[in-house]
Amino acid sequence: MSKRNAKREPVKEVDSDIEDELEELDLDGDASSDDADSDVDADGDEDGDEEETGTTSDAGEDDEIEDAMLELMAAQAERAQRKAAARMPNSEGDEPGARRQPSTRTTGKSRMATAAEAVAEPDADVAVAGAKEAATVAAGEAEDADEDEEDEEGRIPDPGSDSSEDERPNRNTVGAVPLEWYKDEEHIGYDIDGRRIARTARKDKLQQLLDRNDSKKALRTIYDPYNDEEISLTKEELAMVMRIRNGQFPHLEVNPYEPYNDYFTREREVMPIVDRPEPKSRFVPSKWEEKKIVKLVRAIRKGWIKIEPRVRQDPDDPDAHQPPAYLLWADDGTAEGAGPGKSGSGLTYIPAPKPQLPAHADSYNPPAEYLPTEEEVAAWQMADAEDRPRQLPTSFPSLRAVPAYKDFIKERFERCLDLYLCPRIRRKRLDIKPEALVPQLPKPRDLQPFPTTLAVSYEGHEGPVTSIAPDPWDGQWLLSGGQDGTVRLWEVRTGRCWRTWQLGAGPVAAVAWCPNPALRVISAVVGSCVVMMASGTGPEGAEGEAEQALQAATTSGREDAAAAAGPAMGTDGSDAAVDDGAPEAGQLAVWRPRPAAMGGGLEVRLRFPVKSLSWHSRGDYFASVAPTGNTQAVVVHQLSRRVSQNPFRKNRGRVMRVAFHPSKPFFFVATQNHVRVYNLAKQALAKKLLGGGGSISCIAVHPSGDHVLVGSDDKRVAWYDMDLSTKPYKALRYHQQAPRSVSYHRSYPLFASSSDDGTVQVFHGMVYSDLLTNPLIVPVKILKGGHSVVRSEGVLDCAFHPNQPWIFTAGADAKILLYCN
Amino acid sequence: MGKKLKKGKAGNAAQYMTRTQAIRKLQLRLSEFRRLSILKGVHPREPKKKPKGANKTYYHTKDINWLAHEPLLNTFRNIKAHEKKVRRARAKQNAELAKRLKQLKPTYRLDHLVKERYPSFIDALRDLDDALTLNHLFATLPAESKYGIPPKVVHTSRRLALEWQAYVVRSGALRRVFVSVKGYYFQAEVLGQSVTWLVPHALSQVLPTDVDYRVMLTFLEFYNTLLQFVNFKLYHVLGLRYPPLLDARLEAAAAELAAIMKDIAGVRDVSEGDRALGGKAVTEGALECAAANEMEMKARIESLQSRLREIVGAAVEAGGEGTASDKDNENKGSSELEEDEPPVLDSGTDDDDEDDDDDDGLGKGEYLSKLDAVARSGGRTSTSAMLWDDDEDNDDDENPAAGHVAGDLDAGSRAAGGALGPDVDPSDEAALCRNLFRGLVFFLGREVPREPLMLVIRAFGGVAAWDGEGSSHDEASEAITHQVVDRPSQGHRFLSREYVQPQWVFDSANFRVLMGTDLYAPGQVPPPHLSPFVGEVDDDGYTPEFAKTVRRLQDAARAARTRAAGLALKGADGSEFVGEGAEVDGAE
Repeated sequence: MSKRNAKREPVKEVDSDIEDELEELDLDGDASSDDADSDVDADGDEDGDEEETGTTSDAGEDDEIEDAMLELMAAQAERAQRKAAARMPNSEGDEPGARRQPSTRTTGKSRMATAAEAVAEPDADVAVAGAKEAATVAAGEAEDADEDEEDEEGRIPDPGSDSSEDERPNRNTVGAVPLEWYKDEEHIGYDIDGRRIARTARKDKLQQLLDRNDSKKALRTIYDPYNDEEISLTKEELAMVMRIRNGQFPHLEVNPYEPYNDYFTREREVMPIVDRPEPKSRFVPSKWEEKKIVKLVRAIRKGWIKIEPRVRQDPDDPDAHQPPAYLLWADDGTAEGAGPGKSGSGLTYIPAPKPQLPAHADSYNPPAEYLPTEEEVAAWQMADAEDRPRQLPTSFPSLRAVPAYKDFIKERFERCLDLYLCPRIRRKRLDIKPEALVPQLPKPRDLQPFPTTLAVSYEGHEGPVTSIAPDPWDGQWLLSGGQDGTVRLWEVRTGRCWRTWQLGAGPVAAVAWCPNPALRVISAVVGSCVVMMASGTGPEGAEGEAEQALQAATTSGREDAAAAAGPAMGTDGSDAAVDDGAPEAGQLAVWRPRPAAMGGGLEVRLRFPVKSLSWHSRGDYFASVAPTGNTQAVVVHQLSRRVSQNPFRKNRGRVMRVAFHPSKPFFFVATQNHVRVYNLAKQALAKKLLGGGGSISCIAVHPSGDHVLVGSDDKRVAWYDMDLSTKPYKALRYHQQAPRSVSYHRSYPLFASSSDDGTVQVFHGMVYSDLLTNPLIVPVKILKGGHSVVRSEGVLDCAFHPNQPWIFTAGADAKILLYCN
Repeated sequence: MGKKLKKGKAGNAAQYMTRTQAIRKLQLRLSEFRRLSILKGVHPREPKKKPKGANKTYYHTKDINWLAHEPLLNTFRNIKAHEKKVRRARAKQNAELAKRLKQLKPTYRLDHLVKERYPSFIDALRDLDDALTLNHLFATLPAESKYGIPPKVVHTSRRLALEWQAYVVRSGALRRVFVSVKGYYFQAEVLGQSVTWLVPHALSQVLPTDVDYRVMLTFLEFYNTLLQFVNFKLYHVLGLRYPPLLDARLEAAAAELAAIMKDIAGVRDVSEGDRALGGKAVTEGALECAAANEMEMKARIESLQSRLREIVGAAVEAGGEGTASDKDNENKGSSELEEDEPPVLDSGTDDDDEDDDDDDGLGKGEYLSKLDAVARSGGRTSTSAMLWDDDEDNDDDENPAAGHVAGDLDAGSRAAGGALGPDVDPSDEAALCRNLFRGLVFFLGREVPREPLMLVIRAFGGVAAWDGEGSSHDEASEAITHQVVDRPSQGHRFLSREYVQPQWVFDSANFRVLMGTDLYAPGQVPPPHLSPFVGEVDDDGYTPEFAKTVRRLQDAARAARTRAAGLALKGADGSEFVGEGAEVDGAE
C-alpha cells in the first residue's frame, strides 16, 4: 500500500494545483464541470436502471450494458482529457506524467480503477461524486452487469473519499509483501479495519470445470491472489488489454495527435490575465543582432568566412581531401632522397620482415600426413593458449565447408602492432646449413673418363704379382713380375702372355721399362740383382739395338768401370766375370752380362737386397733402393756407362722408395718418415716433405713434377703440393688397409691407390696451371671385387695405361686385371 | 687530465630516447604520436646499450627529429585546436557556428609520405604485402560505427582492391594461389617483385572487441593512399586510364571483378580474341574461324578507310568548304553512336578510344558479331577439349607423322592446356601463366567463391561465366568447357563439359598443368591441396606423394610444350622432325 501511495502522491499534488488554478479561472470551467457532473449523474442513473433490468436479462443485454458503459467511460475520459489539455500549460512538470499514468499503470486488478482515477483526478471536487460512481462502475470487480447484487451495495461510493480503490470492501491491506508469507495462513491479509480477511475456499477442479462449461465468462475470468477473488474481465477490458499488448493506447478515444489549442490565444478574452501593451523592444531591430551581423559581414569581407558553396559534403570524409591519384614516381630513380637503403631520417631503412609463407600444413585440405594425431591434438588442447600454435592443421572435405577464420582480424592487428611497435634491428645471422658446408663436388659422371669396368684378366703367374709396368710408349705391352720368380710380358689387348723369363728362384720385387724408346729394354729386380733384358717388342730393329746397347754396355762398361772406379763410386769388379758372386766389400755393385741361356741381357748385382727400382725419364739413369742397405741404400746406375754410384753418404732413416723428377734435376727419396727432395744439379736438399704417423710405403710423382702422392702405413694417402707446403695438401684416409701403391696417370687427371683391403680407388685429380687454384680431388670410382685378399695381402700394385684412362692392377691372388672406362 | 665528460651527452644515451621522452619532446599525446609514427613509418630501434633500462622502447633521435619536422605534425595540432572550437560552439548551443566551423576543418594529404617512404616504385612494391592484405580485409568488413569504421573507408578499400585485382588479371601477373584455413593467398609477380597477399574467406567476420581499430584504420589510411598511387603507376605502365570506371550496374549485381574489368580489359579482350582465333585457325584449320577473322579484318580496314577519309575530309575542309556537309553527316553519325554507347564500353587508352570509335562506326552489330566469334571459338575449343580423340584423328589425317605420338605424349599435351603452341615458350613463366586456361570457359556455380576463382581464371587466360548479370555465357551455353561446382551431388549434367571442384582451378594454376578432372569430381574428396610456396621438399625434407605424381604430369606437359614450340620452329622442314622431337622428349 505504501508503494501505491508513494506513486500517487504527486498526482494528488497536481490535483491541488489544478484546483488552485481552477479557482483562479472564471466560471467557464465551473460551468463545464457542472455539465459534466450532470452528465455523469444522468449516466449513472441510466446505468442503474439498466442494471436493475439486467438482473433478468441474458447475454445480449449484457453486451448492451457494456456498450453503454463504454460510451459513458469514453465520454468521461474525453471530457477529462480536454480539461487536462486545457490546463496543461499551467501545470508544471509532473502533469504529463500524471496524465500518462493511465496508459502505463494498467497492471493487475487495479487497471480499470486507475483509469477511472485518471478520469476523476482532473475534475473539481464537485464532480468527484459522480466520477467516483462511474469509476466504480467501470472498475471492475464490477461486472455489475452480472447478477452480483451484493457487490452493488459495496460499491456505493463514499462521497467524502477521493479514492475509489479504498472504498472497496474486503480490501487487503498487507501491502506489497510476498504473498507466500500468507501461504500457510487461514487468512490472506487484513482489511482496513485490521480484521483478518479469511481465505475463501478454492473451488475444486470439478467445480472449475463445470464453471468453465457453464459460464461463458469463465475464459475471461482471472484470479487475483492478492485479494483472493476472481475477476471477470469485460470485453472492453479485454480489448484494452489487447491494445496494450499491441503497444497502443489502452483507450480508443485517446488521440495523441490532437490539435494544439493555445490556451491564451484561442479565445479572445474579455478580461485577459495580462493586458500590458506590447513593449517597444518588440518593434525595434535588435542591437545584438546588428552586432552579430556586423561581425559576420566583417568576417566575410576579411575572408574568414567563405560564402561560396562548398563542394565537400562531409568534413569527416577521409578521402574527400585526398587529391586524386597522380604519377607519384614519375622521376623514378632520379629522385633525390636520403640515398638507397636509407629512410627519410637518414638512418638505414630496415624493412619489416615478411610473414612466413604458408606451408602444406596450412592448407584447407592438407596431405593426411600433416594432420595431427590424437595425442598431438590433446597436447594442443592442454597447452596454454599463448604457448601453442594458433591453429592445428585441419582438413575440410570441400571448399564450401571452410569457415571464416576467426582470428583473422586479430592476426592483422597483431601484425600492425609488430610493424609500429617492434624494435627493428639488422642482425647478421649466419644461416649455415649442413649441406652448404660440404663443397660442391662435381658429379663423377661429369669427370669421365676413368676406369670403371673390368675388361681383361691376365692370368699366368703362380704367386702374388708384386709389380707391373705397362710400356710407356703406346701401352701395347704389360710387364709384370711375381713372387714365383718370373717376369712376364703380356699383350694388353688380348691378355696373351707373350714372353716369360724365369729370373731365378727368388721373387721378383719390381719390374720397370727403360723409358728410352729406342731400346725397349725391361728391367726387373730379383734379390739383390737388377736385371736388364731386351723385351723383343717394338719396331723393326729395336731388339737388335737393345741387344747391342746391352752388349755395348757390357763391353764398354768394362773398361769404363775400371777407369772410373773412384773412391766415391766403387764399381764392378773387372773380374766380375770370374764368378757370379756378390760384390766385394769395397764394391758398390757388379755389372755383368747374363748368359744367353738365361735370356741374355745385363745384370747389376748389389750388396743388399733391392726392393724397388726407378728410372729417369731419359732412360739412361736408374736408381735402386735397398732399404736394408743403410748407407748404400740408394744406388744410382747409369746404363750407358755401366757405372753405379752412391749419391748419399748416409741416409736419414730407412729409405723406402726413390723417384726422379720427370723434367727437372730433382730426386725424391722417401724414407719412412719424410720425403726428401734433392736438387741434383746443386747437390743439395731442396725440400723435405713431412709425412704422417705411419711409415711411407709408396710414392708417385705427378707428370708435372709439382705434386707428389705418398702412401703410408697408417692407411693414408697424402697429396703434396710442392709449391704450397711441406705438409700434405690433402691427406686422404679412405683405405681399410695400408696402401700398397699409388699411381698418377700420365695424361688424364687421374690417380689411383691400391691397398691390402683388395680395393683400388680411382680419383679425379685435376691440377690447374694457374698457381692460385688448388688441385681438385674427387673420388670417382672404387674398383673392388676383382682381387681377393690372400694372406692379408690385397692389391700389390697398380699402374695406369700411358694413353688410355685404363688401369692395371696386380693382386696377391696371382691375377693382373685391366679396368677400362 | 682530459675534460670530464657529462653523462648522457654522447653515445647511446644521446642517440636514443625512450618513447616517453620522444612524446614529451614532440608535445604530443600518445595516440597522436602513434598515429604519426604509423604514417611516417617510424619504428623503434634497438640500441646496443639501453641507457634507461631494458624494458623501455627506444627510438633513434634522428627518427624523432624527422618526425618533429613533419608538416603533418602541425596539421594535427591544428585539427586538435579546431575540434576544441567545434566542441565549444556545440556546448554553447551555437549550432550554426559549429556547423560552419566543421566545414573549415583543416585537411591533410599523405602523398608526400608515400614518396618519402618509398623513393622508388620498386620500394613501394616490395612493401605492398601488408598493404594489400589489410586493404582486402577491410574491403570485406562491415562498416561498424561501434568500432569507428566509416563506410567510406570500406568502399575505398573495396575499390582499390578491385583495381589491384583488375591489374593483376590484365597483366597476367598472378603466379600462385593457395587456399588455406585463413583465406586465399595470392602471389603475383609485378615488375619482377613477388607480391603476396591474403584475402579472407568471403564469410562474415566477427569483429573482436579486443582490437584497437583506430590503429588498423591509421594503417589503412596510409595503405590506401599508397595503393592508390601504386595502382595509378601500374595502370600508367599499361597505358590505361586511372581510375578505371566502375560499371555501376555490374557492381550492384555483385559481379565484382567484372565491373571493373569491363572498363580496362577492352584492349586485351579483343587482342585475346584475335589470338585465340588465330591459334585455333592454325591448330584446327577451322575455316569458319578464319572467315570470321577475315571479316573482322575487313571491317577494321574499312573503318580505317573511313577514318582516313575523315582526316582527308578535314584537310580539304581546311582548304575550302567543299565537303563540309559530308563530314558533318559523318560527325553527326559518330556522335550519335557515341551517345548510344554505354559508358562502360569506353576503354582506357586514347588509341583504344579510337578503335572503339571505329567499331562504333561499324555499328553495334559488328561488336556483337565479334563477341559471337569469340564465343564460337570458345565453343570449338570446348568440343576439341572434349572430343580429344577426334581431333587427334584429324591431326593424323592431316599429318601422318603425328601418328607416332604415344599416349603419354597425348596426356602431356592435354595437361599442357592452353599454354601449348608455337607462340608459347615453355620456359617463359609469364606466357605459361597467361595462356594456361586459354580457350577454356568456366561456369561458376552459385555456391563457389566467385571472386578468387574469377581472379585466377581470368589471370590465367580463361573465361569465367556465372549465374547472374554481367556473365558472358549462361549455364546452358555450349561454349562452356568446365563447370565449377561445390555441392555434394550434381543434378543435371551437361555432357559437353567437365564438372570440377574449385580446387581444380587452383591446383591447375599452381602446377601450370590442367589436372585430371576425375580427381576433382563433385562430391568426392579432392586430392590434397599443396602449398605452392613450398619447394621440392618442405622444411623437414619431405615431399608429399601427390607432389611426386604432379611432377610427372608436369614433365609430360613440359615435353609437350617443347614439342609444340619446336614444331613451330621447324614445321616447314617436313614430317621427320616430329619423330625426332618425340625422341628428344623421350630422352628427357
